[in-house]
Amino acid sequence: MSDHPQRELAPLAALGTLDGESLLDWREHAQGCAECRAELAAFESLAGSMGLAAGARRVPPRLRQRVMAAAVGVAAPARPARAPWVLAAAASLAAVGLGAAYLSARAQKGVLERRLARESAVTSLIKAPGTRTVVLAGLPAAPGAQARVVWNVEKRQAVLMATGLEPPPPDKAYELWVIAGGAPVPAGVFRSGADWEALHQMPWVEDAAQVKTFAVTLEPAAGVTAPTGPMVLAGAVS
Amino acid sequence: MAVPDRLAAAAVSPGEAEGAKLVARLARGEAAALGEFFDRYSSLAYGLAVRILRDPTEAEDVVQEVFVQAWRQAARYDAARGTPAAWVCTMARTRALDQVRRRTARREESAENGPQLAAPLPDSAEALAVRSALASLSDDQRRALELAYYEGLTQSEIARRLDQPLGTVKTRIRTAMIRLRETLAGVLP
Repeated sequence: MSDHPQRELAPLAALGTLDGESLLDWREHAQGCAECRAELAAFESLAGSMGLAAGARRVPPRLRQRVMAAAVGVAAPARPARAPWVLAAAASLAAVGLGAAYLSARAQKGVLERRLARESAVTSLIKAPGTRTVVLAGLPAAPGAQARVVWNVEKRQAVLMATGLEPPPPDKAYELWVIAGGAPVPAGVFRSGADWEALHQMPWVEDAAQVKTFAVTLEPAAGVTAPTGPMVLAGAVS
Repeated sequence: MAVPDRLAAAAVSPGEAEGAKLVARLARGEAAALGEFFDRYSSLAYGLAVRILRDPTEAEDVVQEVFVQAWRQAARYDAARGTPAAWVCTMARTRALDQVRRRTARREESAENGPQLAAPLPDSAEALAVRSALASLSDDQRRALELAYYEGLTQSEIARRLDQPLGTVKTRIRTAMIRLRETLAGVLP
């Protein structure tokens, strides 16, 4: 084993306890050594089982409901794909046992950055002169929901923000409608997330300049040209 | 201490075979399987998170994260890297240690003020085997291993904490893990 000293690091790598030069040494070696990766997998399995020694405790009853609610909006296998680099990073990090913590921090950072970018766009829209706001109330099909549409005719921008809106089934989506007197004009489909929130950047429709009502219905995921499903939110422009 | 024969008899755990089936159903997106998976493994994740965090409220958050992660990533579960129970424990440990690192200010034993903590459940045969295997280690080995496992310290941090040379700490942990592996061969897959 003298030509293979890194193998001795596998038990420590499995616990995530390597640091400094040992960590660099391990990373560099394990990427190209199937034997060491197999050794790592065996020790990772052992490390996982060590958790049994902590002693099981019954969880508070409310936790099951919380978990189910949080997962409902997380359509399991067919979720929108993550950025390819995240998957590549996941694969290579998993291969050498370098912390899921790192991955989740990176992935979370990406999510937060995208969210921040969207929110700062909304903030600048809200601050612009001529911007108007209307509140949409939840209808009997979605009694706990509430939304706000912020729009600016001169900038030709509109955003809908919703809370308390149940994530739609996988084959459905919410569709926003602009009603200016004639037939409702479709203004894009969107989904709410696991947190029951949604932020929808509306494609500009000319009728928004004379809009009298914004409404949201539940429709097939691809969207429809005239509303067919139950109305979940509506708000009249005064 | 050798593992008693009656524990070794539990080697092929029917429970874990059921668990593996549940993971396959999770990977297919069956929401009902998530409930069953939760019922089977949540007490394990919660016990470990409580042990690491010493805070029932934070431990609940960790359990939620673990099961949402299991739901999302069931397709990536790899039996070669452990049983479903080991998978759950690994996720719970990683998340709980993340939470420890996120704490900005060291709080004073908040567990006393938190919600009432349920008493530990009786050990399963596997848990008993792991516990007795840990008990068979020397005190020095077990102490170093516990600092790595429950506190998430790196080897250098453990060396400083124990005031021992780095090489000694690495050897203790490595020897302890190899010993555990030998003791538990035949008990765990």
